[in-house]
Amino acid sequence: MKFQCRHLHLQQGAFLLEIDLEISGQVIGIFGSSGAGKTSLLEVVAGLRRSALGFIAVDDHVLMDTSARKFLAPEQRGVGYVPQDLALFPHLSVRKNLLYGHSRAPGSSHVDLDHVAAVLEIEPLLDRSISQLSGGQKQRVAFARALLASPRLLLMDEPLASLDQELKSKIIPYLKRIRDEFRIPMLYVSHSPDEVTQLCDQVIVMRDGKCLRISRPQELFEATTSMALKPGIYDHLLEGQTSS
Amino acid sequence: MKIFQPLFPLLLLLGMSLSPIQAEEVDVFAAASLTDALKEIAVNYEKTSGDKVIFNFAASNTLDMQIKAGAPADIFFSADEVKMDDLAKQGLVEKETRKDLLSNSLVVVVPGDSPAKLTSAAQLADPKFAKIALGQPQSVPAGIYAKEYLQKIGIWPQIEARIIPAESVRAALAAVETGNVDAGIVYKTDALHSKKVNIAFEVPAAEGPAITYPAALIQGSKHEDAAKKFLDYLATSSSLETFAKYGFIPK
Amino acid sequence: MTTDDAQVIGLTLGTATLSTLLIFPFGVALAWLLARKQWPGKSLVETFVALPLVMPPVATGLILLTLLGRRGPIGAFLQNTFGTEIVFTWKAVVTAMAVMSFPFLVRTVRLAFEEINPRLEHVARTLGASPIRVFTTITLPLAARGMVAGAVWAFARALGEFGATVMVAGNIPGRTTVMSVAIYSDVQLGDDGHACQLMGVSAVLAFAAILFSNQFSRWGGAR
Repeated sequence: MKFQCRHLHLQQGAFLLEIDLEISGQVIGIFGSSGAGKTSLLEVVAGLRRSALGFIAVDDHVLMDTSARKFLAPEQRGVGYVPQDLALFPHLSVRKNLLYGHSRAPGSSHVDLDHVAAVLEIEPLLDRSISQLSGGQKQRVAFARALLASPRLLLMDEPLASLDQELKSKIIPYLKRIRDEFRIPMLYVSHSPDEVTQLCDQVIVMRDGKCLRISRPQELFEATTSMALKPGIYDHLLEGQTSS
Repeated sequence: MKIFQPLFPLLLLLGMSLSPIQAEEVDVFAAASLTDALKEIAVNYEKTSGDKVIFNFAASNTLDMQIKAGAPADIFFSADEVKMDDLAKQGLVEKETRKDLLSNSLVVVVPGDSPAKLTSAAQLADPKFAKIALGQPQSVPAGIYAKEYLQKIGIWPQIEARIIPAESVRAALAAVETGNVDAGIVYKTDALHSKKVNIAFEVPAAEGPAITYPAALIQGSKHEDAAKKFLDYLATSSSLETFAKYGFIPK
Repeated sequence: MTTDDAQVIGLTLGTATLSTLLIFPFGVALAWLLARKQWPGKSLVETFVALPLVMPPVATGLILLTLLGRRGPIGAFLQNTFGTEIVFTWKAVVTAMAVMSFPFLVRTVRLAFEEINPRLEHVARTLGASPIRVFTTITLPLAARGMVAGAVWAFARALGEFGATVMVAGNIPGRTTVMSVAIYSDVQLGDDGHACQLMGVSAVLAFAAILFSNQFSRWGGAR
């Protein structure tokens, strides 16, 4: 996938999100500490927030272009969104949640319920209510629901942040399956070097609303168990065009 | 200083003589139609007697109910005898103090911008009078009197459905003033009080119902002497002149 | 219990029901606008809606009477255009009840909307749902309990309405005398016994309404 986010300018009170980049990859990580603007960026890409300026395109599909006064509503973008709190619909069963976006959204690939349920191993849960699910089960249902809308791009906002280490290691394989089986491109927000290293081919490093650099995960982190950021990562601020 | 010393006891004496004697309060529960006349009489009375008169104006049936419930009234001045008799039956009235002070007459009024004029009250049966305001015909004296009269001239069955009952005779008058009703039956005294209504017809005293306004002292009054004084004052010729000025008929 | 009583109770229930039905769509719409959107004049509207809650009911009644009376702007218009009058008819009763109970409806439903996590609505849109589909499939079902509660509160308030009603509709037996006014009248006439009977019915109705509302919330919550 080629993802373009050009001349994006979003002012929210004292916070300014300014992004100008073009990047190719299958799973693109967005890495940074809290307050860096990662969630805001996802919301703009999903069409849930409107910026004053910007051009956003996924491959050839233009989602937003302020100079051409084009703004696609969220339901027209084919962009799936899994927020941090998952936002599963509490009043609908698992099956109804999964099918909510099914065969309605514009998108090239057509995903099938049985296939997704099998890949994410949620077949026995289909007729349960949301309140009956465990944390890990909810996670997988949220992924499945987004997949079943056949998105052309999937946005994940720190999907594993609220899970303990054991659960995290159980869920990461499912994310890999999503990446490998369904081949749907993802923007994956995380502040965990481990997740980013395991899942992403490229990483956008963000700080204070700006993109600092774009690198491969291996270039960012010490190849030690501490997975600390390599020194000098935050030393220079990249402005203008950035390409991988 | 020494010069001022003899002055002090003098000042004290002066001060004491100037301080007013404890003023008494008289609580008067009076029919709504008496509002303006009684207020004027009270102003004069307060100047000469030093007592204070506190009024509670409402429809006589409301006052009757309040007194029965224990409201602190010293004098009851009713717009009909029925309510006074009701209290007397309950032993709430000092019978010897009861006086029939006034009478009144009924009029048909219309809103100030209406040109209607009636030569007889029976013309109220005309459907152009779609809404007619009266005091509640079961309870408010003015309403009871009006219904009595309308029954007597035989048009009550036709206009019964068009009656807009009001809380008190003043409320009926107010309804006519706003123009929300086409006509109303109130006391002559109320009609004279208002600039926003016209009298379309005056019920001749001989034809109309016998209207009597009795006044009496209430049993167990806390200000018996002051109340007796005011009650007597109401019967003096100067008070009756004031009442007549407002359109009442002294008995 | 006489046929007159049945008539008074019937009139009260009928006007309260009609009033609640009339304000429901507007109340829900306004509650949603207040909960989810920013717009110029919003705080002014909020204040207006809250007025009947804080002003003495008779004051609200007086305002209604001034507006709806024959010489009032709305009353005169209705008279000239449709030949209808509102004051001193059952329509005035419904109007007074509607105005006085509207703020209860809006407040309760607004809270219900505000309690819904907006992210649920956001995600629904990313799944391809239009704003209307989001409203009908996500927002409304989640707010359903609150909407029912709002309607019940509005209905109960309408049942008990006195001050504004008596101002703008008067106390005309058979036409505009509702239960609260009948109780007042009875006391005025000294008929305390009958007043207590009506008061008993009034209490039973209010009790039933609130019981229903609580049961409904419980049933909704069990899902």
